[in-house]
Amino acid sequence: MLRAFYAAIMLLAAAIPAAAQGALSVQGLGFPPGQVSTRAEGSGGSTADFDPLTPINPAAIASVGITSLFLQYAPEFRRVTAGSATASTTTARFPMFGAVMPMGGTWTAGFSASTFLDRSFETRSERQEPVGAPEDIVTVTERLRVLGAINDLRLAMSWAGSPKLRLGAGAHLFTGRNRVTLDELYSDSVRNANSTQSSLVSYTGFAGSVGLSFHPSRVIGFAVSARKGGELRASSGDTARATANVPDRISAGITYEGITGATLSGRVSRESWSSLEDLSGSAGAFDGWDFSVGAEASGPRIMQRIVTLRAGARRRTLPFGFNGEEVSETAFMGGFGLPLARNRATLDFAAQRATRSASGDVDERGIILSFGLRVSP
Amino acid sequence: MKAWPNLFRLLAAASAVAVLGSCTEKLDSSGVCAVLCPPLGGTVQNITIDAVALDTSVQALSGLGAETRLLLATRGDTLDARIILRFDTLPSTYREGTDTAKIITLVDSAILRLRLDTLSIKGGDPVTIEAYDVDTTANDTSTAAVLALFRPDRLIASLSYARSALTDTIDYPLPNAHVLAKAQTGQRLRIGLRAVSIGSSQISFFSEESGLPTRLRFRVSADTVIPPYTLTPFSKTPVDDAIVRNNLDDYTVFARRPPEGSPIDLEVGGIPPRRAVFGFDIPSSIIDSSTIIRATLLLNQIPYPLLDPTDTVFVLPQLSLAGAAVTDPVKVAQITTGLGIDTVKVRPGDAGVVLIELANAFPVWKQLKLADTPRFIVLRSRDEGISPLQVRFHSLEAAPALRPRLRISFTNDVPLGLP
Repeated sequence: MLRAFYAAIMLLAAAIPAAAQGALSVQGLGFPPGQVSTRAEGSGGSTADFDPLTPINPAAIASVGITSLFLQYAPEFRRVTAGSATASTTTARFPMFGAVMPMGGTWTAGFSASTFLDRSFETRSERQEPVGAPEDIVTVTERLRVLGAINDLRLAMSWAGSPKLRLGAGAHLFTGRNRVTLDELYSDSVRNANSTQSSLVSYTGFAGSVGLSFHPSRVIGFAVSARKGGELRASSGDTARATANVPDRISAGITYEGITGATLSGRVSRESWSSLEDLSGSAGAFDGWDFSVGAEASGPRIMQRIVTLRAGARRRTLPFGFNGEEVSETAFMGGFGLPLARNRATLDFAAQRATRSASGDVDERGIILSFGLRVSP
Repeated sequence: MKAWPNLFRLLAAASAVAVLGSCTEKLDSSGVCAVLCPPLGGTVQNITIDAVALDTSVQALSGLGAETRLLLATRGDTLDARIILRFDTLPSTYREGTDTAKIITLVDSAILRLRLDTLSIKGGDPVTIEAYDVDTTANDTSTAAVLALFRPDRLIASLSYARSALTDTIDYPLPNAHVLAKAQTGQRLRIGLRAVSIGSSQISFFSEESGLPTRLRFRVSADTVIPPYTLTPFSKTPVDDAIVRNNLDDYTVFARRPPEGSPIDLEVGGIPPRRAVFGFDIPSSIIDSSTIIRATLLLNQIPYPLLDPTDTVFVLPQLSLAGAAVTDPVKVAQITTGLGIDTVKVRPGDAGVVLIELANAFPVWKQLKLADTPRFIVLRSRDEGISPLQVRFHSLEAAPALRPRLRISFTNDVPLGLP
């Protein structure tokens, strides 16, 4: 039985030219958490272009109304299945923090730092190698550990000249680094020396974004935003390793508030991830759509506070492929928002169940919990 | 509606558990590595090269008397080792009450207190230790002159010991009159010890270099209130060389020892101890751009059956840190540091290939410039200066198949960082 299992694994491995990093979602430069706030995430991300705490549409920050600081924590519990083999991981992320500050009656400024691509994983595999004499076969344990991310630092300004129209623009600095450590551990450490190689790759890039939100009536709203990417450079020390472009993005959202106490929303986004092709290695980078729909409604009153309930769904293409093909993600979310301290703070919570799949017999499921805290000092 | 608060409490509790559970990241997804984790490291390459550019054997210690053990042996036709102890400053006076310069007129209970290395004992027969007066004005380092004094008219004491009497401390009695005569005349007391046995016998005493020197102890008064004199070996000659003078406080001389090997052989251990020095010429591409997994020095051993051929010599490889300015192999063999690896057990009587692992030397060599620090490895015996055993190897002068070679297993560095 065990032999059959190993045979199946070997066949599977042979069938899939492996270029992976232990999970579907951390291919290439890593996993995009989405850059959406916990509040927007609760409704599938469909309100991302309207949400002042989400660093996507710079026009949206004008709707914050009051100076706010915000922080997000979003651990992911992931389970990868390849044939009959499974692996479970836990990744702790602090994907976003920032501040939004109204400046007078019409202008609002905002700063945020959010995780653009998270590349954190570790793999360990074994192989046999002849070391020394030909008959001296040694087991080599290869341990690869990658930690780091590319982050999006955005400085945005928004103008709200009328209650119906808000305009905004943002400047983005993409920065971060990946520390890669490869250990090769040999059995019989008396005769063999283990090896450790490490590398630190830094990323620097720029982009600009613009956006608007338009509310022609009390019940309906539209938002459009776009980001134009500049050069993204990868370097080790003073040496440039490779260059690519920060992906362009364009997105549009709609909200409908015609039902008392409820908001329905939808969003579509197109991101040209292929501009990262030169940095993505053999994984390949794919332009991708991102669709989401969601709803937000006033819920029960708890401790004299009205709780906002949210639900949504999302389907998107992840930027980096597996085995030369796209990896898609379908997620269902739900969450709530709880006002605190006489509405000077809000605690948001969202839970997301994501399924990722690609060609071959590899599947990945993740549960992402998201905790967001907004404070108005 | 009461269900809502309970639901939220439950949700809050579950969230707290999840948050606490996520505090410790677990990124390892090795479970699916059979499919999702291609090997990154390079294939191990194994090559055997003639990397030894220089080899030689050199004297291990700084000279006569530098050893930490004093060997006393009678091994038939193979080995006859004797010990010389120098007490060149015997007192002629002692203190009694307020009289600080009372002339010594009596010597009583004169003994040599010898510290025996009990692990070194070989042979089960009783051994007789003879003591000779070996004081001479001949050249200090002339062992022949000293050996010539082991003759009957110079014999001053003789005592037999059963094997069971050879404990860690031996009190060997000396003739009081002999010590008194030396003290009263201001002469040097230089004693030579020789072992005599019907069979084969070998023992070692700790030398002054070990910190446990032999002591000469005697009383100068019948009054037990007056403490006895206790002297450690001390040589007053040669007057012009303090290092040699210190070494000659106590030392071993050989009346007979195994024949030296061929000048082209490499020797490790023995009496006097020898070290083998190897200089390496390794392609810089391997040192600079590769990760060394294993490096093995392949030596062909020459059988050396004369002395305990089935005993073990613990060969210890060491890294020489001698700079390029040091060209004398003797000094190269002295400026060494450990490699952090175990000794190699070699039996003197064996033949064939002996493997010396050197992988730990390569990270050091990678850091040091070849022009500043040549790549030398030194092989020494762990029991250098203690054990007379020696192992021998073929050198570069031997037939090509028998010469030292270096087998290296390495991987090329992998470009890391980008996916």
